[in-house]
Amino acid sequence: MKNPTQKKTSTRAVLARLFGSSARGIAIEKSVLTGYASVGDGKVCVMGTCNGTYIDNAAALRLAAHVIECIEKHPKTPIVMLVDSAGQEPNRVAEMLGLASYFGHLLSCLELARRKGHKLVTVATGQAVGGAFLCYGMFADRIYALDSASVGLMPIAAMSAVTKIPAAVLQKLSKTMPSLEFGAAPFALLGGVEAVWSAKDDIQARLVGAIANATSEDNRAELGKKRGGRKLALDIRKKVLAESAR
Amino acid sequence: MEKFAKAFPSKPLPSKAAKPWALAGVVGSGNLEVLLERGSRPTNMMECHVETSIPGYKASWLAALSDFAHHYPAGGTKITINDQGASPVLVNLRLRQAYDHLTKGEK
Amino acid sequence: MSGVLFHEQTARQRIAALADPGSFVELLPPPERITSPYLAQLGIPVSFDDGIVIGHAKIGGKKVYLAAQVGQFVGGAVGEIHGAKLTGLFKAAARDKTPCILLVESGGVRLHEGSAGEIAIAETMRAIFECRALKVPTIAVIATDIGAYGGIGILSTCCDYRVMTEHGRLGISGPIVIEKWMGKKAYNSADRALVWKTSGGKTKYLLGDADALVHDAPEAVRDAIAKFIGKSRAVSLGSVKARQKELEKRLKKFGTTNDPNAVWKGMGVRNVEAASLASGPEFAALAKRGK
Repeated sequence: MKNPTQKKTSTRAVLARLFGSSARGIAIEKSVLTGYASVGDGKVCVMGTCNGTYIDNAAALRLAAHVIECIEKHPKTPIVMLVDSAGQEPNRVAEMLGLASYFGHLLSCLELARRKGHKLVTVATGQAVGGAFLCYGMFADRIYALDSASVGLMPIAAMSAVTKIPAAVLQKLSKTMPSLEFGAAPFALLGGVEAVWSAKDDIQARLVGAIANATSEDNRAELGKKRGGRKLALDIRKKVLAESAR
Repeated sequence: MEKFAKAFPSKPLPSKAAKPWALAGVVGSGNLEVLLERGSRPTNMMECHVETSIPGYKASWLAALSDFAHHYPAGGTKITINDQGASPVLVNLRLRQAYDHLTKGEK
Repeated sequence: MSGVLFHEQTARQRIAALADPGSFVELLPPPERITSPYLAQLGIPVSFDDGIVIGHAKIGGKKVYLAAQVGQFVGGAVGEIHGAKLTGLFKAAARDKTPCILLVESGGVRLHEGSAGEIAIAETMRAIFECRALKVPTIAVIATDIGAYGGIGILSTCCDYRVMTEHGRLGISGPIVIEKWMGKKAYNSADRALVWKTSGGKTKYLLGDADALVHDAPEAVRDAIAKFIGKSRAVSLGSVKARQKELEKRLKKFGTTNDPNAVWKGMGVRNVEAASLASGPEFAALAKRGK
């Protein structure tokens, strides 16, 4: 139970699907991905996780260093973030040293990249749950998921175990409240991902389009309302903005 | 969850109440929040709405609210309660806190 | 000092104590009754503010946006409404170029509402950085034992500044989660000294993750806020490179120990026992904070 679930598809196969032969330029070290590859006619910076690994302080630093390098040496190069991580390991040393701050630093680096004209596109390739998704993947301009990815806060069984609400009750409610359901499709209904890519799709072409169309405006609340999965968020935000302008 | 509503006769609220509404307490284990609002009609009735996580105590709720309506001029107010198992003593305290807040502007 | 303890106050009392008298205007106040449909469906009591009080006020005559999470309500956790109020507030702060202060008291995402709260935290992070890009100061105040955990722990580190008291705790995984994972022998969540030295304000201040360590009193929190609302902290290439070095150094220096006292000593605390007893600013004075 201590080891994160291993995905059956190998990381190299996933990378090849996304980047073709240019995936050779991506290094995998302790399940952290860093490197550069080609998408269509353009070069991209690639960073992320694989094998459902846990992101610890060192992993966050390596990802941050790669983003900084990209900003310095490859101005305006789009950054593709791949997510396959079970989250952060509950660990006393990591917490003592301020894991949250390491994640905050990674987010700051990505923000700097965005401000300096790098487009940020996330593809959830495996596990994209909780803190692991929050600490970089969900910070992109646009977020996509493979349909085989496990996206969301947590599966209903885990939610039931923590909240003590019977799984059957949550299961039934999730039919009308997609927020409670686990997976890429319900997450898309909430606006959390722009689109889900299926095994049949030409993923490389999708990625080219995703990078071309990415803008830095956060459109998730609009999407969530339009798709009906998150009916309240946008209107409440608008209400706050309207009432505060009075 | 149990939900009920009832209005109780009460002398009209003094006209120079400090605020349009007041909130006392928080929703948490063994606690409750009381929202007290002016502008309800008629002005000689105190309108009450209760939602509680502990069913089966309607009678004691109504007794506590009736008692409050009797002792305080709260006509023309609306009380709305979200309860998570507060004791009668705490219910009474929160009602008085909300009332003081509304009438005197106290925190 | 009034003798009032900040960590014992309710969210509304905290706001009242920090704001200039009578200056607080609540947005989406309780009479609007915007309550969680998720909790209602699950038969869990709702609250009229959904566990977060938001609005604007003046502090020392200067306009600020202000939010206070209600830790007693579902652990201050972030659901769809709670999160949307928070996102909206930071967006309003960016629009009006007005500093935004979050009085944090949250374990993170509200599990009862699933992924909606998680997305809301991500959206709020974006809004915080929107403020920062416009040089609008953002401040997280972490001053209670509910503290800032999970996604809200990460979110707090996105703000320009963190003001903490020794009661405050900042992290991602809480003590019970760590104990469950590592075993009671490796980490006993009932060991208060250990828990506070892992995630508490003093350790966070020593390491430089908290920018101020103040007395557990509204006046002290207010003074710290007043100091920080005047100046933002830019995210620049220089700042992230410096931070990268600092965090690498920290990991190298302390990554192999699990003894918080070693961290304290390494960060310049000569007398750990005396420092443990010292409160707020006295502790800060005792500890020559290393950078």
